[in-house]
Amino acid sequence: MDNLGFLFAANVVVWGGIIYYVYTIRQRNRALEKDLELLKETLNRKG
Amino acid sequence: MMMNPDAVEENQEEGNILVWLTGLAFLAAMIAIFIYVPTERTEGVIQRIMYFHVPSAWLSFFAFFVVFICSILFLWKKEREWDIYAQASAEIGVIFCSLVLVTGPIWARPIWGAWWVWDARLTSTLILWIIYVAYLMLRTQCDAGSMRARYAAVLGIVGFLNIPFIHFSVLWWRTFHPQPKVITNEGIGKGMDPTMLATLGVSLCAFTLLYFLLMGVRVRQENLKDEIDRLKKEKLYSS
Repeated sequence: MDNLGFLFAANVVVWGGIIYYVYTIRQRNRALEKDLELLKETLNRKG
Repeated sequence: MMMNPDAVEENQEEGNILVWLTGLAFLAAMIAIFIYVPTERTEGVIQRIMYFHVPSAWLSFFAFFVVFICSILFLWKKEREWDIYAQASAEIGVIFCSLVLVTGPIWARPIWGAWWVWDARLTSTLILWIIYVAYLMLRTQCDAGSMRARYAAVLGIVGFLNIPFIHFSVLWWRTFHPQPKVITNEGIGKGMDPTMLATLGVSLCAFTLLYFLLMGVRVRQENLKDEIDRLKKEKLYSS
């Protein structure tokens, strides 16, 4: 019985899912860093 | 919550160790799944999906258990920290429950001859996924505040009550889904070949480490978000 295609598909789904989730976390981190920088700049301008 | 620079550095070091441990655990799991473990006699190579499918299911159930506990603690102590833990865990639980719901049909198609059957195990798992997707939607749709956290906590607790039903569904009803192989009446792991059990164990460890790694990152992120919101409010009131 040769079902290598199905095994490959399952692997792609699992790794793809994990990598995509890590990518979304990274994107959210970047947005937070940007927010923080903006806040710092505003506070510094206020003195 | 104010952030202490020393504590942040310590957290980063712990995070790095966890990243390495998780990476090594996944490497060991991949070697075990694709090289070490023998091919199962009746299902053939497709049975190796089990080493992703079962740990994903374990991780999602464990994540929803953490949501359950943290939601109870939030309702009891009214501390934002528990709400953050519940939210982060629910998100991870939904991701891995989605992986269960996709890898299951990929495994089922060549074995059962169908992608999906409406049996008790599959249907109750789909209901679990819908409940926690609703939980995450509730969190994004409602305004931030204690009411949102309270509604979410109630849904987080109610949703978890489905999990014992999912576990026992294959014992209570005749289902397409196979009965438990790891925890049986004869004992833990008695129904499995020792090499398969070892491979599953390594894979379960890798997924569990990944859970703690992702939880750490998400909780730190939510704390930082709270800190930014607090500073923004302070700035708003001071100007």
